[in-house]
Amino acid sequence: MKRGWVLQTLNWFEHRLGMRDQVLEALNHPVPKNTGWWYVFGSASVTLLTIQLLTGVLLTMVYVPTPDLAYQTIEYISYEQFLGWYVRAVHSWSGNAMMVMVLLHMTQVYLWGAYKYPRELTWVVGCFLFVFLLGFLFSGQVLRFDSSSYWGIGVGAAMAGRVPLIGPALVHLLLGGETIGGETLSRFYALHVFVLPALLLGFLGIHLLLVMRQGVSAPPFPAKRTDKETYDKVYERELAEGEPFAPDPLAKDVIFSALIVLVVFVLAAVYGVGLNELPADPTIINANPRPDWPFLPLFALLSLCPPWMETFVILVLPVAGFAFLVSIPFVSGTGERSPWRRPVGTIGVVVGVVLMIVLGWLGAVAPWSPAMEAWSGTPIPERMVESLSPTQLVGAVVFQNKNCRNCHALDGQGGTRGPDLTTVATRLTKEELVRQVVQGGGNMPAYGKQLSSANVEALVAFLATLHPEGIAPAKPSVEPITGPLAGGDNAKDDKTEVARDQ
Amino acid sequence: MLDQALSFIVARGRPISIAAWCLCALLAGCGQPNRANQPLPPLDVMAFQPLFQENCAGCHGTTGQMGPAPPLNDALFLRVVTDQELNEVIKNGRPGTLMPGFGFNPGLTLSAKQVDVLVKGIRAEWPSSPREFSGTLPPYATDAKGDATRGAQAFALACARCHGAKGEGTDTAGAINDGAFLKLVSDQFLRRIVITGRPDLGMPDYRQQITEPEARALTDQEITDIVALLASWRTSDSFAQEPAPGATKP
Repeated sequence: MKRGWVLQTLNWFEHRLGMRDQVLEALNHPVPKNTGWWYVFGSASVTLLTIQLLTGVLLTMVYVPTPDLAYQTIEYISYEQFLGWYVRAVHSWSGNAMMVMVLLHMTQVYLWGAYKYPRELTWVVGCFLFVFLLGFLFSGQVLRFDSSSYWGIGVGAAMAGRVPLIGPALVHLLLGGETIGGETLSRFYALHVFVLPALLLGFLGIHLLLVMRQGVSAPPFPAKRTDKETYDKVYERELAEGEPFAPDPLAKDVIFSALIVLVVFVLAAVYGVGLNELPADPTIINANPRPDWPFLPLFALLSLCPPWMETFVILVLPVAGFAFLVSIPFVSGTGERSPWRRPVGTIGVVVGVVLMIVLGWLGAVAPWSPAMEAWSGTPIPERMVESLSPTQLVGAVVFQNKNCRNCHALDGQGGTRGPDLTTVATRLTKEELVRQVVQGGGNMPAYGKQLSSANVEALVAFLATLHPEGIAPAKPSVEPITGPLAGGDNAKDDKTEVARDQ
Repeated sequence: MLDQALSFIVARGRPISIAAWCLCALLAGCGQPNRANQPLPPLDVMAFQPLFQENCAGCHGTTGQMGPAPPLNDALFLRVVTDQELNEVIKNGRPGTLMPGFGFNPGLTLSAKQVDVLVKGIRAEWPSSPREFSGTLPPYATDAKGDATRGAQAFALACARCHGAKGEGTDTAGAINDGAFLKLVSDQFLRRIVITGRPDLGMPDYRQQITEPEARALTDQEITDIVALLASWRTSDSFAQEPAPGATKP
């Protein structure tokens, strides 16, 4: 009786929607054999997207996008609201996991040559999805409205300002005015919760439609070349030998997605996501802003490139990078698909991944940024203080007081912009130390005008003590003559010369 | 293969145990952010330790001693110095020395309340026992003018043993007749060090500097005179310079 009622209701909808065939077709559509576990990253990304939408809607109910309330409402979500912290943690972890899944998905598709004929458009649409995802991550960081997001928008606006001709107009559009304020936050909010979701869902619909229409590609085998003339027939045969999407390949997708969701839920429950930064406030000068991890490689690249390259890195590189991604299926749309037969492409992926990891690590560590608090907050190691003379002690205070410590570490503590000076006396003589301090050199500015001669003298007296016990300090390459030659008549001659000079 | 994997997972009950752990973690709220871990804007920091570690430890040491600058964790110093003097020095710095003012300089700003927290914290963290220093102590600061000639006699009595007859330094202690050193410290700094010594670095205070046979504490006048002597070295060229290694002595 009950069963009949359910069936009746379903039939009522089916009579009007007529979707049963499509659903069954989607479940039963054949896929090539041996797809294995490599095809699960795309569906995992979509699963995470649904989590993003759900948690995003929940957060939107509390979050207020105004400069005075944005940070406060996140505090409320994190500390006051029942399980609010968990919703926010899931949103954050799931967003980051989605980025990881999308990167894995793109890498897998590239290495498998799955972007080749006839799936070029699927790849191109996917590239747009990737850009939208970056937009999500950036605008999401802005919505936190902490110091990193404040300075992040500043950097973004400065980059937009470099665009020729329309730069200022673009900055105005981005910030909603000339400075970062309420309008800026509103714009990024609109972008994050209306514009980007609409674009993402629209493009995702096309992406999935194309996946259904073109089918998933068979795993590549060396020497099995893709040819526009023959591919369609080959694929038809592969499908004929294949299996229906349900149950096995579908189950793989479901299991992997469930696993990823579980991982995200556990990470969110165990590690949560804190409020690790101060609210956006330009008057706090000791902020240490960093972009979120997907932008760290670009941050590192911008910090490390010489000034003449900046405009290129800011304006040309991202556009060229995107154009490069989009052009891939048009440049190599046919031919070998196996990564083993595409050495340039495969090595390119390896090099690219290593480059991104190294740049990302550099961006996270940012050794080029001085440690602004080190001078007053990082003590001189006690073992160095123990045996200092009064002058050397005062020199150590000069070292702190004149902010040397902000760039130079002692025993690994302090800034990393300049070299660690723990054993500097084994490398430089007193004279060389004076020259380096006064005139600068390498990357170091000259401090001659900011230090009195007493400062320099005391500072160098301290630095000259920095050599390990048992290792002699550096000596000048030419030692002053000592012994019998230095005394007696010669000494007298020197004195007469000095007297004559005066 | 897939069936096997599935049945393996299900048979071992993994999903249930993982879900249980997940629920436990959630209920325990171990990922819930704690307001105490949230960074505070610099002017809202009102606890002594973070303020001290952030602003003072760089020169005065993590525990208020063993830093290159004079120790604050010094019982005798804390006996002779007043709260007002501490407050004043933190706010305005010490003219003629490397101690910067933290009260007004842009970029080194501490609010008046934070300076109070530091002063109170220094007192509370390192209390100075009154019994340890009985009797009249030499005042921390003085307006009295010292006499360098008398100072030389007191110097010979109290300082020369370790710092050398002319302050040129010995194996025990470094030179104090050095021009750079004297230019970077004030008379008040010298007075404070003569009074308190540097117990963390092994320099005795004014009570132990004169050893046998006389073995008595320096008087206030003697301290003032020694400072006058050292101050006279600061401007005069007459003090004996430490000979360069290997050079013939004049």
